[in-house]
Amino acid sequence: MLSTFHGLEVAKRGMFTQQSALYVTAHNIANANTPGYSRQRVNFVETEPFPPASMNRPQIPGQMGTGVEAGSIQRIRDSFLDYQYRNEASKLGYWSARSEAIAKMEDIMNEPSEFGLSKAMTQFWESLQDLSANPENEGARAVVRQRGIAVAESFNYLYTSLSQIRDDLGQEIKTGLLEVNSILKQISELNDQIKAVEPNGYLPNDLYDKRDALVDELSKYFQVKVETVPSGGNALDIAEGIYEISLVNQDGSTVKIVTKDGYSKLSVSPSISGDPTNPDGYISEIRIEDVLGNITTISYNKFDSLASGRIKSLIEAYGYGSDPDNVKGYYPDMLADLDKMAYSFATMFNAQHQKGFGLNDSTGGRDFFEMTLSGPPTEKGAAATIKVHKDIMDNLSNIAASSKSGESGNGNNALYLSMIKDVQITNGSATLPSGSGTTVSVPITGGTVQTFYQGLIGKIGVDGQQAERMKTNAETLATSVDNKRQSVSSVSLDEEMTNMIKFQHAYNAAARMITAIDEMLDKIINDMGIVGR
Amino acid sequence: MLANNMLRNLSNSYERLGKYQEQLATGKKISRPSDDPVVAMKGIAYREDLARVKQYQRNIGEVHNWIDSADDALDKVGLALQRVQELVVQASTDTATPEDRKKIADEIDQIQKHIVDVANTKVGGKYIFNGADTKNPLFIGYPGETGFAVNGNQSDVEIEVFDGIKLDVNIDGKTLFTGIIGMLDNLKTVLDDPNSTGNTISSHLSQVEAQQDALLAARSELGAKQNRVEMMENRLSTQEVIATKLMSNNEDIEYEKTITDLITQESVHRAALSVGARIIQPTLVDFLR
Repeated sequence: MLSTFHGLEVAKRGMFTQQSALYVTAHNIANANTPGYSRQRVNFVETEPFPPASMNRPQIPGQMGTGVEAGSIQRIRDSFLDYQYRNEASKLGYWSARSEAIAKMEDIMNEPSEFGLSKAMTQFWESLQDLSANPENEGARAVVRQRGIAVAESFNYLYTSLSQIRDDLGQEIKTGLLEVNSILKQISELNDQIKAVEPNGYLPNDLYDKRDALVDELSKYFQVKVETVPSGGNALDIAEGIYEISLVNQDGSTVKIVTKDGYSKLSVSPSISGDPTNPDGYISEIRIEDVLGNITTISYNKFDSLASGRIKSLIEAYGYGSDPDNVKGYYPDMLADLDKMAYSFATMFNAQHQKGFGLNDSTGGRDFFEMTLSGPPTEKGAAATIKVHKDIMDNLSNIAASSKSGESGNGNNALYLSMIKDVQITNGSATLPSGSGTTVSVPITGGTVQTFYQGLIGKIGVDGQQAERMKTNAETLATSVDNKRQSVSSVSLDEEMTNMIKFQHAYNAAARMITAIDEMLDKIINDMGIVGR
Repeated sequence: MLANNMLRNLSNSYERLGKYQEQLATGKKISRPSDDPVVAMKGIAYREDLARVKQYQRNIGEVHNWIDSADDALDKVGLALQRVQELVVQASTDTATPEDRKKIADEIDQIQKHIVDVANTKVGGKYIFNGADTKNPLFIGYPGETGFAVNGNQSDVEIEVFDGIKLDVNIDGKTLFTGIIGMLDNLKTVLDDPNSTGNTISSHLSQVEAQQDALLAARSELGAKQNRVEMMENRLSTQEVIATKLMSNNEDIEYEKTITDLITQESVHRAALSVGARIIQPTLVDFLR
């Protein structure tokens, strides 16, 4: 037999459940603009029907429904879209960091413009041509000296500025890793909280959201792989469990950085000093110290295999290698190329200058530029320290414009000097333009100093363009995946409004149901058994 | 999501507007190498070419300076030699007394000094007839004085007027002027000699003519150089136009096109703003009672 109050009970359950659905709707609306929030839903579950299948069940026809209950409150999220988004985010992190690094380099090189190194070189060339036409003129000599100083200072300026940017990149790696470590710590803490909640049969939706937002953030720095481990106990099947996070290499191998036991600390070795006067900073390995103190390292020759992410890009720009003398990377390469160019130009120029004679100078054999080298390689330090030689600074007459001693009107050597930047270099050896067949060996292997520089600018341009294009692509993909994710997880006010009306009506109907049953009971209790009264 | 998309599209639109604005403000298609590496690299090379052409034009100015000054100086020498010729003819008549000849010899001495002065012409701080040794004069002192000496540097002074093309801008002053001075020395000796007859003097006329010929040869050489320089000048001005045009084609914007693009983009932007303002306003809330 069914209970007299069965209907009341069913209607009451209905009211409670619709009420909780309304509260969840209110929570969704309240969080409509919360970053990382996924909308939540009450999973309505029918309660056990009556009677249950058993030996002493009452004999009534069919099972009677007993109403509804809120089975669980679940967030709406598609973990496959998360996976896609994180892949794109780490690519975006990689290419945007690269594009930023190259853009800074472009800003400093400032080509093509009226203020770059190539303009300084051209003006130096012009002054030498003027000198060759007016070799006895002190004014022309003074201009050559000033333009020479301008060329040397352009080299100095480029080298110092690029070194400073490189140093900033080092700082960025440092702060980036601090940020990563803090994210790993927070993820691990959230893991612990989730581990405490889930075994009780609850879904900690808001903790899940926070944790996913952190993993999104982390994926900008490194490409990561997320695996889940169930937290045990009475956890629901739809509980998400504990995140274990690994760094992913291109070959698919992984290094765990968050496990159910704790999180690892990431650092680089040698540590970044932050001393701008030390131009030789480099990174030889990434150290990953796990919760037990075991250290895994990814050494410099494996950096290529890191899949992507901002940190990889920063390391590539900053420089990496086994020791200070073998540093590769975008900035170190450019600095080395500037050294090569400055050294080649100054060496050839000096060699030709030595062959000429100054005004009232019978000995010749003077240098025009001087450098303080700190090799190996030979040319190291050239761009940073190149300056006009003391002999020239002391006396303008020492500029060797003449190719023959005692001929003040002879400007041939000045002409040869003006040709230096266009001297063809073959296999690292250049023949001086004076025609005597003297060769000078230089670190540039082919082309001319001028074309070498054009090549540098061209390379920055092409690399910058590629980085910018890849960044835009990654951005488009990330945005499109994020849009898909939003269309699944984000709060649509229209939908919530519709739900609100839906739940409100259901609530009202359940209340109406109670009134109906009340009237039925009233009939039985008050209007029955009063015959003849 | 709608709002986010709208914001993103608007910011893209602003970015494009910014790019056109930058192009119009600078007049250049690119502002950094990564905008277009090929244009940037070509730009460096074209600038270099243009600077070269401009420099060679300056060098040619210097060449003109040399050649015009030398021609002017030689013109004066020519006039002087003409006067010498007249004097020799005058002196060669047998009616001329030794006193007359003495006076003529004095005048020739003055003319000789004048020619020495011309040989030591200084233009812009340079002695133009002493080869490459332009700090020192061709002659030190005057003939007949103690300490008279000839420096006589015969090197060419060369100025580059195009890649690998050099013009020697001076003439061999030593040969020319020592020839003339020597001839005048001989004349003076003959005129000073009381035993000279009209015939002996007039036999020197041929020497005078020989020096006039040498002078003419030098001047025609200068004239020929002048022609070469003018030809080179024409070529350089053509080159300048070509180099400027190449550079401009490579990196300058076409204003008509960029302005049209800007205006198109502006109307797109306005449309985006107005559509955006419409779509983000209404929700179901506005229509529920």
